[in-house]
Amino acid sequence: MLLAAVDYYRPQSLSEALDALDSTPGARALAGGQSLISILKLRATTVELLVDISRLEELRSLDVADDGSVVIGAGVTYDEMATSAPFQTVHPRLSQVAAHTVDAQVRNRGTFGGNLCHNDPINNFPPVAVAMDAVMHVTSKTGSRDIAASDFFTGYFTNALNPGELLTSVTLPPLSGRRLGYQEIAIGEAAARAVALVATSNGNIESASIAIGCLPVPVRRPIVEQALAGASADESTVAEATSSAGDGLEPISDADASADYRQAMASVVARRAVMDAIDGGHNAE
Amino acid sequence: MPNSPGPIQDVEFKLNGDTISRPVSSRQLLIHFLRDELGLRGPKIGCDTGHCGACTVSYNGRTIKSCMMLAVQADGAEIATVESMASETGELNELQESFREHHALQCGYCTSGILMSSKFLLERNPKPNAGEIREGIHGNICRCTGYVNIVKAISAVAHGDSGSDLEERLEKEQAGEVRA
Amino acid sequence: MTTQTPEKVTAPTWTGQSMPRKEDERLLKAQGSFVDDEGMYRQGYAQLVRSPHAHARIISIDVSKAEALPGVITTLTGNEVKAMTEPLFQFAPRADGSQVNEYLLGVDIVRFQGEAVVAILAETREIARDAADLVEIDYDPLPVNVDGVAAADPDAFVLHESLGDNVGWKGEFDWGDIDWALENADHVVKIDKLHFHRYSSTPIECNAILVNWDPGTDMIRVVSNNQFPMFGALVIAPSMGVGIDQFDFVSQDIGGGFGIKINSYTTIGVMALLSRKAGRPVKWTETRTEHHQSGGHGNERTFLDIEVPVMADGTILGFKTKAYDDAGAYLHYEPLGAVIWSQVVPGPYKLKHVYVDYTETLTNKCPATPNRGYSRMQHIWFVERVIDLVAQELDHDPVAVRKLNYVQPEDYPYTTPNGCVYDSGDLPTALDKVLDLIDYEGAKKLKAQRAGSGKRIGIGIGTTLDSGTNNFGQSRILNPELPFSGNGEACTALLDLYGEVMLKLGTNPQGQGHETAASQVAADILGMSPENIRVWVGFDKSHSAYIGFSGTYASQFAVTGINAVIGAVNKLKAEIIEVAAHAFGAEQDQIELVNGEARIIGNPEAAIPFIGIANMVYANNATLPHEMAERVSLTCRHVYVPPFEVPDTEKKYGNLTLTYATQTHAAVIEVDEESGKVDILNYAVVDDCGKRINPMLVEGQVHGATAHGIGAALKEAFEYDEDGQLLTSNFLFYHAATSTDVPHIKTDNIESPSPFTGTGAKGMGEGGGAPVHTICAAIQNALGPNAAIVNDSHNPPERVWRMLKWSGSADERGVKVVSKTGGG
Repeated sequence: MLLAAVDYYRPQSLSEALDALDSTPGARALAGGQSLISILKLRATTVELLVDISRLEELRSLDVADDGSVVIGAGVTYDEMATSAPFQTVHPRLSQVAAHTVDAQVRNRGTFGGNLCHNDPINNFPPVAVAMDAVMHVTSKTGSRDIAASDFFTGYFTNALNPGELLTSVTLPPLSGRRLGYQEIAIGEAAARAVALVATSNGNIESASIAIGCLPVPVRRPIVEQALAGASADESTVAEATSSAGDGLEPISDADASADYRQAMASVVARRAVMDAIDGGHNAE
Repeated sequence: MPNSPGPIQDVEFKLNGDTISRPVSSRQLLIHFLRDELGLRGPKIGCDTGHCGACTVSYNGRTIKSCMMLAVQADGAEIATVESMASETGELNELQESFREHHALQCGYCTSGILMSSKFLLERNPKPNAGEIREGIHGNICRCTGYVNIVKAISAVAHGDSGSDLEERLEKEQAGEVRA
Repeated sequence: MTTQTPEKVTAPTWTGQSMPRKEDERLLKAQGSFVDDEGMYRQGYAQLVRSPHAHARIISIDVSKAEALPGVITTLTGNEVKAMTEPLFQFAPRADGSQVNEYLLGVDIVRFQGEAVVAILAETREIARDAADLVEIDYDPLPVNVDGVAAADPDAFVLHESLGDNVGWKGEFDWGDIDWALENADHVVKIDKLHFHRYSSTPIECNAILVNWDPGTDMIRVVSNNQFPMFGALVIAPSMGVGIDQFDFVSQDIGGGFGIKINSYTTIGVMALLSRKAGRPVKWTETRTEHHQSGGHGNERTFLDIEVPVMADGTILGFKTKAYDDAGAYLHYEPLGAVIWSQVVPGPYKLKHVYVDYTETLTNKCPATPNRGYSRMQHIWFVERVIDLVAQELDHDPVAVRKLNYVQPEDYPYTTPNGCVYDSGDLPTALDKVLDLIDYEGAKKLKAQRAGSGKRIGIGIGTTLDSGTNNFGQSRILNPELPFSGNGEACTALLDLYGEVMLKLGTNPQGQGHETAASQVAADILGMSPENIRVWVGFDKSHSAYIGFSGTYASQFAVTGINAVIGAVNKLKAEIIEVAAHAFGAEQDQIELVNGEARIIGNPEAAIPFIGIANMVYANNATLPHEMAERVSLTCRHVYVPPFEVPDTEKKYGNLTLTYATQTHAAVIEVDEESGKVDILNYAVVDDCGKRINPMLVEGQVHGATAHGIGAALKEAFEYDEDGQLLTSNFLFYHAATSTDVPHIKTDNIESPSPFTGTGAKGMGEGGGAPVHTICAAIQNALGPNAAIVNDSHNPPERVWRMLKWSGSADERGVKVVSKTGGG
């Protein structure tokens, strides 16, 4: 509950933040803090300098482009995602997901970027980013680069950022007629989660992207995606196609659930996420 | 004066309308600053992982858990705690009065946080149904009341009814609701 | 200030009303006083260093680096504690005198993860915490045992060398004639195993202690949230070599207790020693993780080799089982739990023949400690599982089997096979009412409709007993030498110097509303408004009335606390009337008390306000006859003592509890076949606690107890891995029930007054764990016959999922029926 000694710096601009992250060994960006502060309270990691990026305007915009693509600043809170009217319009389901993330207090403080960077297997946005082929915009004092979501998550609580780099924003490509489905099975925290992006036409699935979460690294399920492409958009066909969604996964085991259970649930949530996308209005959690 | 080893920063913010300006240990959580340095009793500590919500305060008009933020991060902010709820002469506000009337507290330890979450909920959604109320206070753990009377107290304020009208409306709102 | 009414006012007006609480205004305004809100001049902050190992020998402890940290005041190690104290008092040493040797801090061997081994005192919380990281301890790990049944194995690794085995207490409970019953029953239902899991009601305020060992007076002032300090002092004072009466216990507001907060006494001892060593007050605030690792867990109990004799019509004759209660690493409050379950031996049923071979074992887990429903709920859960499995396996209706076997309304007072007397009740009516509340017929239709949909409906019933007001004589069943029996509570009622009526209780409540309830009954006796009665807030040994049993536990305030209030206030009333009668030159029976005045009946003009009475006694006593002036004090203490006898310790027979409130619960659940997730569609409770002093408070207790049970049944568990590491050591993994986990709870009540309590009230509040029984029954109902059996009290999605998937043979179900051939 009591943090070890740590220094704190609140830069006034992104470049000041990048300078600090670059020049101070043991510096770490502090955004909403809803994960990092917990870790510091448990003294599970050592940080020399907290660089508070939570007020940087450069990270706080949520822009919807005409083509339907969205750029979400890393410092945008879940609550801002949930209540942004333009975002609701293009991403009604994601807006709902944001509106039900953890609880009101965490939504008021926790950020989209922090959720992604922290990459706790219980976090809900990593599989969203992977399913949507989101692009992560990363900046450091020495330059900027983009990282594909599928390359961003590297392991349990780890990501592809190098020391001194900061995730500044994320681009969600346009849905282009596809719909997003999101389903999870929660036991306190989520034990299994799937995100599906599905395009349908005349009762058939044209294309589908499926990502499974609650894993050290959220994964796409290409075999399932191929099986779904061109298949009939009815529940039994989808069930058949998604039945292998858990194959080969290596989920964690903990007090909530065993790896076996999580693996079995992966195909359940995969099917439900696809059906959630197909049914559209059916947005039960 | 902060008395913990390590870096110190100056912090200035509004607390329940008053300006607070003083040095603070960089590592100190806002909850410890409010309680140990400023002597507030409203925000409480019930866990060490940000789950219980007993430390809930308003930060620039939005609820946050004050155990999930450093005191120094409050610099320039407007913080309000449950101490700001009753009138200057000590009368309970409508929400507090409803909690009393509906026995929505027992030990009273979580109550400060629940009141702050309830207030924010009603500011956001003045007429929440029972399910929305439950979602609105989901970040606050109460171990005494089973939440039943808390939902009732908040709903009564929102909808302005009482007695059997309130009971029947809530019964309907919660009928068949899938939970747990 | 007084309103004059001509007619005599006699009818009670406050008792029985749902009066809002006196406590609430201060709590709503954050003006309560919880321990961490308090401080003492020159206090230091304490931090405990805890063992990361579940079982290890301590090779060495080096505190030099910690002590060298600027701001550290002092440290205290187990070896220092051992040198200055004796092992803690144990309730039931063996006949040869051997016992668990426990010190206030871990000495030589640590026996559970989180056991405290070093205490540090520093100028700030942060420094104390920093210093903890500088304490260097070498451990040599030892084999770990986290299985309460395996611990009893003679070959198991022994935790306490002083015992020679892992048996904390062992006893046979044998009532009626179980062999005859098993021989003569038409059927015997055999169940391999039922397991009640570890959890706690996890009060949202963790333990906290502020202690000053005053070097000048040698008094030890303890401001804490311990909920039964008289008990704790009894254990720690002899160990510390101090008089029990040197402890001055203080508490005001307590952030929930639920029994768990009985257990902080060892830490009180540590902090007192730290204060003495430092010569300064010590403040200690437990973290949530510490609370989960070491604050105390509810009892975990395993029942094996269960045999249930049943007649063809569904009459259940009794049961036979071996019970293993896992006490954890030390006996804290235990082994009292090894006998407390026997308050409810047959549950709410007329079971006549019972045999339990009971063993309490020691394991490398956090010590067990009372938790809401303590020891009885484990047992009633077992009885309710037995009832439902008997019904299912013998194809009886669960409602009919209950009604057939319930203690019937005309049977009260009903004496159980072990001599407990159930005072009153009406279980069949309660069951009918609760089934109405959940629309039982509609639920059955829904169940049929949903068949094959992937969602299964389950309907469950849980009947339970909330036994209240212990006879502490039952402790002698464990150890006949113990000097405890009976029970009681004290109250002092006084008319203060300037006319204020004040009550001082012996209890230290944690949200139960004692100030309100006490003021209600006092108000009726004194003919005044509860608003004008001040109830001393919290407990302070130097002010409060108390006896050895004082505290808030075991569902008893409505009986012991309230009867103490009634006794004390009646004495005060008599004194006021005597003084008033003297002043008026009237007979005492001509005086009535109305609105804070003593007056002549029928003559409101002839009235003396209470301040006038107080004046005559305190400051104008030459106006009174000398004898009266010396005798009348307007400070009236009463000790209520319930009518108990010492049980027969040989036969384990006697009345162990004064009252038996009942609760009947029913639930309709929906089970998701794919995930095993359970959703509660409908939940209802019918409560019967006799006369209710404040129905609103009663209902609040019902809600709270229900939420705890639902949490326990579906979400909350203390799970250890095989190395004895607690996996649910904070709220990240310990899923305390939230507002979206607890459904709306429908309530109704019936009122069966207790014939034994004077007021007709019964203690209530613990609730008997009924939701655990109910949810398990509902899951069983959803699984259906010939399926897996629900043999664990905790059923998170994965466990339910595994039961749904189970496809073993009939022999592997863990339950079977042996029927008499040609019988019937």
